Amino acid sequence: MKQSSFSNKYLPYILLLPTYSILVVFLFYPAFESFRLSFFKVNPYSGAEKFAGFYNLIKIFTNPDYLSSFVLSLVFAVSVVVGGLIVSLLLALLLNQKIKGAKVYRSLLIWPYALSPAIAGALFNFLFNPATGIVGYFTGMRTWMTNGNTAMFVIVLAATWKNLGYNIVFYLTALRNVPRNALEAAEIDGAGPFRRFFSITFAFISPMTFFLLVMNTTYAYFSSFGLIDILTEGGPAGSTNILIYQLYRDFFVNSRIGYAAAESLVLFMLVVGITFIQFRTTEKKVHYQ
Amino acid sequence: MKKLVLVFFVLLLSISFISANASEDAAVDVDKAAPVTIEFWHAMSGTRIDLIQSIADDFMAENPNITVEVQYAGSYNDTLNKVISAVKGGNPPSVFHSYEIGTLGLINSGMIMPLDEAAVKYDLPIAWDDFFVPVQSYYKYQGQHYSMPFNSSTPLIFYNKTLFEKAGLDPENPPKTYEEIRAAAVKLKASGIDTPVTWNLHSWYFEQMICLQDAPFVNTSNGRGSELPTEVVFNSAAGNKVLDWWIGMYNDGLFMDVGPGWSNHRAAFGAGEVAMVMSSSSDVNLLTASLAEKGWEMGTGFIPRPDGATGGVAIGGGSLWMTNNHSPEEELAALKLVQYISSDVPQMAWHKGTGYFPVRKTAMEKLEKEGWFVENPNYLTAFDQLLVSPETLNTAGSLLGVFPETRSIIQSSIQECYAGKPVSEALDEAAAKVNALIAEWNEVIGL
Repeated sequence: MKQSSFSNKYLPYILLLPTYSILVVFLFYPAFESFRLSFFKVNPYSGAEKFAGFYNLIKIFTNPDYLSSFVLSLVFAVSVVVGGLIVSLLLALLLNQKIKGAKVYRSLLIWPYALSPAIAGALFNFLFNPATGIVGYFTGMRTWMTNGNTAMFVIVLAATWKNLGYNIVFYLTALRNVPRNALEAAEIDGAGPFRRFFSITFAFISPMTFFLLVMNTTYAYFSSFGLIDILTEGGPAGSTNILIYQLYRDFFVNSRIGYAAAESLVLFMLVVGITFIQFRTTEKKVHYQ
Repeated sequence: MKKLVLVFFVLLLSISFISANASEDAAVDVDKAAPVTIEFWHAMSGTRIDLIQSIADDFMAENPNITVEVQYAGSYNDTLNKVISAVKGGNPPSVFHSYEIGTLGLINSGMIMPLDEAAVKYDLPIAWDDFFVPVQSYYKYQGQHYSMPFNSSTPLIFYNKTLFEKAGLDPENPPKTYEEIRAAAVKLKASGIDTPVTWNLHSWYFEQMICLQDAPFVNTSNGRGSELPTEVVFNSAAGNKVLDWWIGMYNDGLFMDVGPGWSNHRAAFGAGEVAMVMSSSSDVNLLTASLAEKGWEMGTGFIPRPDGATGGVAIGGGSLWMTNNHSPEEELAALKLVQYISSDVPQMAWHKGTGYFPVRKTAMEKLEKEGWFVENPNYLTAFDQLLVSPETLNTAGSLLGVFPETRSIIQSSIQECYAGKPVSEALDEAAAKVNALIAEWNEVIGL
């Protein structure tokens, strides 16, 4: 490929400047501040700081509520990621068939992604709330959101549903790019539909699956506090209190700035770690064309 | 590796919202010349935005040289966070709205102009005697009023008169004590309502029912002494009494757990799933209307107390605060604005438009003369409940820096009790957690 070049050697830097200035102001500086503050005690009003070393981190890891929240987050993330990827792949496969009105179904399935978490939360509250929830009415069980185990189930369901559209769009694109001749060749060689799916389609969409795995992990860890705030407020008795929700409460409601910063540091490290492991273990099984 | 770097940035973006919030408020130039412009940030959503705007418009019509820029700044929490950021950025609003539980924090925040101090400085005294006792005593700290009471409410019992009658209960005589509520619930259950009583999971009711027993919630004179409180005392006999009764009704299938938030218990009441709820007095309009849809009649009563308890309700809601470090012209304009909002005419409009009660006795008397209570008898209950409230440090309401988190902890404990944990154990554990937070808060607030 021909490499284009700039005659002026400063020009590339000037062109990069707008992007980098935005990144620095809105990304690097705030992230750096969060990390720095995790080593301080901070007055929530004046912002006065006192260096506290590992005080906040020690507090976090000696707090049994935080540790149980840690485990809950893991359960939540695994459920949302695995459940979400399987369901959206199935739906994408169905949508990829030549059926009447596929475009309509596609739009309908992508819709939930366009909803804000607050609206999605309100919808699920409508379905599952203990007083007048429709699901409660039909199942005869009112306690969907007031029992710890089922509350987690509802939250997982809501979070998975909310992100289906995103996953489906990407899976559809990947499915469209599976070369038809490979599938036809396999069919001629006598491979059944399951064999064709697992040996050919799945292999071709594995880079997309990997991408979605990473994105969904990030989604599960970082983007679900809106739903939880509307549906359960982390309850009953902390059973849906995942890390990001606790972090949101500690910073925005409880004004424990140093502590919240330390929580964000832990969460960041955790997700970086998970992503790193995913790259190390899963990427080897991914085939790029 | 490139992808790893990309993912790293995505993650970075995801967490950077934490301090990005600090820089999100728009800067507004404050004109220091004769016509003065001040900002007023409030936390009331929906139709209340227009109502507050119209109150501000009336104020500007009376004070043509003052321009008030009214902004809805989100929830109480959002508003408070934005104000704190704006103070750091050097552009705070002159007046902002905060919830009652933020009071002790704001008093110690160093960004506040105490209201009484401003009133003396500009020689515009406030007739505190005109205010309802629980209203003005809540916002008074060690003899000084720090903020102007604005939207005030207390909890009330709301009951479905039609369903009461069906169950053989007297619809004109609501239950008043723990035992009476329980007895009524048993009768309602017998009449076919599966779980006849509910209220939303909110620590506010627990706090109020401790006030009703004239017991403190925190030490150092309920947080109003010369020292900052160092521990909570809600795990006292009074606190245990409240939860023993509450959880007992739950265990006997008389009380429906509808979870947190403000919509589920209202919906249950409106649908006739329950016949009795506790909710904010500002819900009178809403609940009356939702029962009327089904042709049912609604009654209101005082919130229940154990036999012989002598306390009263404490006020809930919010107040208006002035920030410091403004020019004298702006401070004066801000003072005039908060004084105007608490005067009779806007308070009456506010009451009629929202259901929050007016903070002044004079406004109530005017409403009475208009015949407002003849048309809306249920509004009177909240006033009566306030008027019989004795003035003590306990019924003034407790002050605590870590109140928002305390509420989550108490709510979590109540849910643990629903799941079977003994009340006294749950309350002791909750108190221990809060005490650790208080020690931490007392340290950082001194920084």
